[in-house]
Amino acid sequence: MTQSDIVLKADKIHKTFGQVEVLKGISLQARNHDVISILGSSGSGKSTFLRCLNFLETPTSGTVTLHGEEVVVRNGKPANPRQIEQLRKRLGMVFQQFNLWSHRTVIENVMEGPVIVKRETKADARDKAEALLQRVGLTERMNAYPSQLSGGQQQRVAIARALAMEPDVILFDEPTSALDPELVDEVLKVMQSLAGEGRTMILVTHEMGFAREVSSEVVFLHEGRVAEQGPPQEMFAHPKTEVFERFIAKVK
Amino acid sequence: MNPIDIITAYWPRLIDGTLMTIRLTLMGAFIAALVSPWLALVRVNAPIAVQAPIRIYVSFMRGTPLLAQLFLIFYGSGQFRPVLEAWGLWTFFRDPFSCALLAFALNSTAYQTEILRGGILGVPQGEIESAKAIGMNPLQILRRVVAPHAYRIAWPALGNEVILLMKASALASIVTVFDLMGRTRQVFSRTFDFSVYLWAALIYLCLTATFVFLWRLFERWMNHELGLAKTPSAAPQAWETRP
Repeated sequence: MTQSDIVLKADKIHKTFGQVEVLKGISLQARNHDVISILGSSGSGKSTFLRCLNFLETPTSGTVTLHGEEVVVRNGKPANPRQIEQLRKRLGMVFQQFNLWSHRTVIENVMEGPVIVKRETKADARDKAEALLQRVGLTERMNAYPSQLSGGQQQRVAIARALAMEPDVILFDEPTSALDPELVDEVLKVMQSLAGEGRTMILVTHEMGFAREVSSEVVFLHEGRVAEQGPPQEMFAHPKTEVFERFIAKVK
Repeated sequence: MNPIDIITAYWPRLIDGTLMTIRLTLMGAFIAALVSPWLALVRVNAPIAVQAPIRIYVSFMRGTPLLAQLFLIFYGSGQFRPVLEAWGLWTFFRDPFSCALLAFALNSTAYQTEILRGGILGVPQGEIESAKAIGMNPLQILRRVVAPHAYRIAWPALGNEVILLMKASALASIVTVFDLMGRTRQVFSRTFDFSVYLWAALIYLCLTATFVFLWRLFERWMNHELGLAKTPSAAPQAWETRP
């Protein structure tokens, strides 16, 4: 692997909320086509770390680099808001609570980014949105409002919305944690197909099966540090640390 | 004279007064509607030091009688006549209509600012976050996410505010504006027939009812356009009434 394969790189990310240091220097590299699962018990800082990657939280220290371009942080704030906007355009994000715009229809949600942020024409954006909604199996609900959909459907719309921006990397923040158990599969299937077509994905998840079968790398966080990291098969078969062993035993 | 005679004899004056009341109310509310969103945004987002003048302004406007504010502008400006003349503002302050309009606009701005502040605070945080995450800049977030939600939440309270302003506009008659109340008083002083006040009450009632009807109609249309029948519970209650 060469240096140029690296799409997104986070280096020694620290994050402090008040007196509490949530992240204590986490580094991560995502190459093209990587699917990285971030695991950890609650409070381990995994969601905070993910949110640092697209600067929904600004890291207290450390750097984020996308395609070799480092995001400049000065005095605890992004030096240039435009740079953050550019970064976010290329990093899709899917939230635990879906966060669809409740005042717009399904297709409007998917068109919003391309039309408003990327300034594509409405006609182009609509064609693309229709194709994406077909892909996540929601063609019929195109003109419904988010409140009229089930959680699983909403999350699939959210994935289509992220895809519409044609991002380099998609971040998933516990995408199935807010779903009823019977709705989890439909979302995981979509995510699996994305992984299958070589999308670069970083996800925070509690779905061990998915982490194990689909991801190319697993990162286990414990108390704000990377406790263990590696290919999933090996990690799950032979946990090196006691904390990870206990974690696997607990979630099984 | 019986009530019918009053109305047949004086209806042109009452219609004239009604139009003046509508003009005063709508213009005042409209000017306030142009200014208040920006003040509300500052009130929600800016550092305390920047907010302070707005907080003081809002407290003053809501904490003192509208009549006192009107007197302050109309009679108070006379004290500064030479200065105002020098600045070419005297023609404005000499006119009772413009003084009343200024007082109402200033007063309504304060109320509308607070109502919209409540609306902005009620915008679902997650939807702002997803707008950020997709790469929108602050202006786009304001236009595409914050404003639609905030206005939908604030809409009923804003309508209430306009109604309160319409009723309060009767105060303008005290500084010699011939609004509906002014015309009614004029007719009464000629006829000494109190039934003209009943006619005035009826007209005020019709104005309010019509306004409420139109406002709700627009609310229904807006909610339909936005695909939402339900309003989030964060809607501010307009429990404060005018003096």
